[in-house]
Amino acid sequence: MNSALGFAFSVLGLSASVFGALGGVYALVRRTPHLLTTIRQWAGLVIIAAVGCFVVMEVALFQRDYTVKFVQLVGSDATPPLFNFAALWSALEGSIILWTFILAGYVGAYLWKFRKQITDPLHGWTLVVLLTICAFFFALMVGPSNPFTEVAVPANFVGQGPNPLLQNHVLVAFHPPMLYLGFVGFSVPFAFAIAALITGRVGEGWLVETRRWTVAAWAFLTLGIVLGAWWSYEVLGWGGYWAWDPVENASLLPWLTGTAYLHSVMVQERRGMLRVWNLSLLCSTFALTILGTFLSRSGVVDSVHAFSEGGVGPWMLAFFAVVSAVSVGLIAWRGDRLRSPGAIDSPLSREASFLANNVIFGALAFVVLLGTVFPLLAEAYDDTRLTIGRPYFDSMARPIAFVMLFLMAAAPVLPWRKASGELLSERLFWPAVIGVGSMFVAIVLGARGFYPMLTFGLGGFAAGAALRQVALATRRQGWRGFVGRTNGGMIVHLGVVLLAVGVASSEAYKTDRTATLLPGQSMEVAGHTFTYDSFAGDETSARIKIWANVRIDGDEVYTPAQTRYTQRGMIVPTPSVKPGFTEDLFLVLDDAPRNGDVTAPIRLRVVVRPMITWLWAGGALMGFGSLLAIFPGRRRRGTEPVSAAVTTAAERDPVPA
Amino acid sequence: MSDATTTAKSSKRSLSAQLGLWIALAVAAVSMLSIATFDDRGPETTEERIQRLSDSFACPECDGQSVSESNAAVAATIRALIRDRVAEGMSDTEIRDELIRGYSSDVLLNPPSEGISALVWILPVVFVVFGVGGWIAAVRRTGGGTRTATDDDRQLVADALDGGHDTPDGGRDDAS
Repeated sequence: MNSALGFAFSVLGLSASVFGALGGVYALVRRTPHLLTTIRQWAGLVIIAAVGCFVVMEVALFQRDYTVKFVQLVGSDATPPLFNFAALWSALEGSIILWTFILAGYVGAYLWKFRKQITDPLHGWTLVVLLTICAFFFALMVGPSNPFTEVAVPANFVGQGPNPLLQNHVLVAFHPPMLYLGFVGFSVPFAFAIAALITGRVGEGWLVETRRWTVAAWAFLTLGIVLGAWWSYEVLGWGGYWAWDPVENASLLPWLTGTAYLHSVMVQERRGMLRVWNLSLLCSTFALTILGTFLSRSGVVDSVHAFSEGGVGPWMLAFFAVVSAVSVGLIAWRGDRLRSPGAIDSPLSREASFLANNVIFGALAFVVLLGTVFPLLAEAYDDTRLTIGRPYFDSMARPIAFVMLFLMAAAPVLPWRKASGELLSERLFWPAVIGVGSMFVAIVLGARGFYPMLTFGLGGFAAGAALRQVALATRRQGWRGFVGRTNGGMIVHLGVVLLAVGVASSEAYKTDRTATLLPGQSMEVAGHTFTYDSFAGDETSARIKIWANVRIDGDEVYTPAQTRYTQRGMIVPTPSVKPGFTEDLFLVLDDAPRNGDVTAPIRLRVVVRPMITWLWAGGALMGFGSLLAIFPGRRRRGTEPVSAAVTTAAERDPVPA
Repeated sequence: MSDATTTAKSSKRSLSAQLGLWIALAVAAVSMLSIATFDDRGPETTEERIQRLSDSFACPECDGQSVSESNAAVAATIRALIRDRVAEGMSDTEIRDELIRGYSSDVLLNPPSEGISALVWILPVVFVVFGVGGWIAAVRRTGGGTRTATDDDRQLVADALDGGHDTPDGGRDDAS
């Protein structure tokens, strides 16, 4: 029943998106606006189909309907409701359902926002592109990764449940949907960009329309990545939060190009420059979300989150190739309309600094992409087996991060066009004092080491520049100055500074010790005493959990645990963390007596990481800043003396496509 | 931002006084960086060396995790081997070579700088050189300096003097 219904919804979705897209193209080419409005009905059907697939799969999971292939794969009688709900995205086929569901949600939001302008060819083409993307994902669900396939149920089947790592922490319910909201969210600005290229309306109009969509997608992606790092820290028990794992890199790549785009787009809005560049950045951001999905979901790279099924790999790669070819082709075709009317006047200007930002984000994206795919290429080329891991990425990303922090300090104070040395000296003075002041405080508190100190200094400098902007905006306009893009952006910058300081201190000043302890014995790490009190256990049908009661500084008891999931026979350590503003104490039970012998020794690993909570706080602040940036800012009167973008002849006399 | 207040402030402080303040800040920054660098914990202890070595080798069975992070049996074996070899007084290169012989070249988390993997180190440098070159070319391109006002510009000014209109979006608020 569920199986047939789910498949019916997939087929409905596929046909509705194909017919909608084809009908839209026909109506647009023939210029028949009344025909174009039917695209709304097709899109409505696509939304119904996507919601249908999602609901049917959740119902099947909750009914433990093991005749559905996917439920047999990730469902189990014993999984608690929250993790059963989240089991939908714990394997490949289900995550495609989630992707399609979110994409349909964006289509719905889009239809609602632009419901009055649907006959405008720009919006028509945007919907055509969005429906084409929907068609691709429904095709995956109908073809190579059909989650609804009906299978026979073995006798006494109770199911394995999702991967134990994915039923161990509540963050599993938030990190993947957040990340997908970000990934999929870039489809809307991408579709707009393609529509602008097709219609030839490549001016600044579509940029202004998509601004908030892009910021929202970026914010979701940021939160998704930070939540992923937090989950990794709280669950995986290796004591870190970012491993430069291929799947982490795949999520970082579109974030980097998206961040570059959010900055350089302001140059185009203001000065009409960098059109080809911005379109390329936006198209690459979307293409990289597809490439990332290919890398992580096709089994070509080894990673803790790679799903092993390989069926969709070639499809994803083909879709990536089509997206890239179409983008490049259209940009080349519209090349004559994309010529910039302006030029950058001075290296000391807002636009030059945004361009520098793009170079540096591009460099980091290049390094991350290279490090991720190079082992594959090398192996294909001459069977060289090599690993590119953390030390490589760390040593490459570090200098780039310092340049980013420096630009975050200098760029926000730069005016458009050009700046004088005097102006810079005046505006950068207090930020520089804050930067030097932070280093002084760090030295007094006993911090040492070149890299952390440079981070504190540049971080203080950047925070000073951001605070200066916030202070000016609010002094002039009161609370109203606090919302809007400029100020929201500065709050995001403050979040980045917190994050950078958190990364630098938690890496440089981390202490990591492992000891074997008998009951009653203690270990000393970084000025704290950890006493192993006693040992306990608890058993349910799904899992056996054992834990050690460890007393920290003779006071509170923490319980690092190990959980053995009976169905999959997998042992998962559950760290116990004592978080704090200045330092986190992270306990992992490395080894425990198997036979329940309470007098046997345990092996306990303790990692002390200073200021790691600053990282999570920084992520939250980045999300908050994005929210402020999405909120409509102060309305600038069109008459205020800013330099308007110079329009080209092509835009003044638009040629209908 | 209002340029009037900025100029008012800068006139209060003379140029040479400003220069002096900046030099003082630079000296303070450099000296604190030097304190941080040279007053560090001193030479690397054996424990730190073992940690650094364990961080630089991949656990052969666990998808790119380092042997220091991994809980797998083979990671524990390699950690113990590193500890033994350090105690025997072997150099970093000797330990590295022994591990490559014992496992394979992909036990190194940092790709070697010879052979095909040298590209991983060279290409980013090439990218940055081209990027910076492109940036310099873009900011030095002339042509923006002496543009004359077009009719559109004049119209804009005329509209402004008439009392003006709101921008349709209202979102161009990236003022500074």
